[in-house]
Amino acid sequence: MARRKKQARVPVAPRATTRQQSAPLLTRRRVLVVAVIAAAVAVGLVGASILSARGDGDGGGGGGGETAAIAGGPDVELLLEDIPQEGAVLGEDDAPVTLVEYADLQCPFCADWALQTFPVLVADYVRDGRLRIEFRGLSFIGEDSEEALRAALAAGEQGKLWNVVDLVYTNQGAENSGWVTDDFLRAVGAAVPGLDADRMMDARDAAEVTAAMEEAAAAAQSDGVSGTPSFLLGPTGGDLEPLAVSSLGPEEFRAAIDELLGG
Amino acid sequence: MSDRALRIAVGVLALAGTGIAAYLTYTKYADATIACATGGCETVQDSEYAEILGLPVPVLGLVGYLAIFATAWFAGDTARVAGAALALGGLAFSVYLIFVQVFAIEAYCQWCLASDAVMALLAVATVARLRRPSAT
Repeated sequence: MARRKKQARVPVAPRATTRQQSAPLLTRRRVLVVAVIAAAVAVGLVGASILSARGDGDGGGGGGGETAAIAGGPDVELLLEDIPQEGAVLGEDDAPVTLVEYADLQCPFCADWALQTFPVLVADYVRDGRLRIEFRGLSFIGEDSEEALRAALAAGEQGKLWNVVDLVYTNQGAENSGWVTDDFLRAVGAAVPGLDADRMMDARDAAEVTAAMEEAAAAAQSDGVSGTPSFLLGPTGGDLEPLAVSSLGPEEFRAAIDELLGG
Repeated sequence: MSDRALRIAVGVLALAGTGIAAYLTYTKYADATIACATGGCETVQDSEYAEILGLPVPVLGLVGYLAIFATAWFAGDTARVAGAALALGGLAFSVYLIFVQVFAIEAYCQWCLASDAVMALLAVATVARLRRPSAT
């Protein structure tokens, strides 16, 4: 083995005594390889994360002017235009029949009902003052439920709860996928004419909103609600009875309401 | 510390990281509540930074830790280089994620921070491995 001068001057190379020493691992080339791979991993992950978050946040800026694509704005406006809303109640105060809906804004069946049956009931009964509908929002599915519900209740302070509820259902995402982002809610708010979206966003954590949520949850418990959507129906101001339906289509609701109106 | 000892250290740390990532992956998909002393875990997990191109960050962590664990299994030079590169890349990404928690999400997730600590230790151990002579 050829010895270099430097090594020859050192009497003992301790690590080389027992084993054949391999080439030192910390060569410049290895350091470079490690650095390049590490940098590529880091840059790739960070870059993808930033791009991904931008995509979700739709523009990224926190301004509130940017809106995600929200479908159904004009339809919902057309459906609910000029119908009185107070808090969670849609319709005239003196409407003879009251329908209470227990719902979770993430529940797909609630969305089915909201998109199929609710418009029929609004057009046929609420608009002419014969029915009032009260929304009691629950948030048992997950965090997205609560985020959306808080926004809806906050919009209720401006008399726009049902608009927000209907738009959330129209644009409902997959359960607990994190679809209810601030940008989503801001976009929903912006799609409701006459609603101050910033005010709605600010009011989401208000004590009134939390109180309304707790009230609805307590009412659901005392009414024995075990799933959503669940309904109560009865004469306004009188005893409301659970309405058991075999399907969420409008027919059974119509029949039950007609019976109360006729009787 | 011998290469063998470092390999064991890397393996144990990588398993700890795998455990953390697996727990967070589980809570993500099962929608279970995260045991969270810092209070911000759900906020972090539900933030727009919690997924990268549709893939939850904990899943990426899981893959990363398992890959580093695999490098501890082998004694060869390629494994050492790959281990150090992955751990250093992972550490850089962890630092980025800490910044995201502090400045973008403004909430902290103890599991994420624990994972960051594990990744930092892994970076130290895998780099130390690079400096050791080969065992074979």
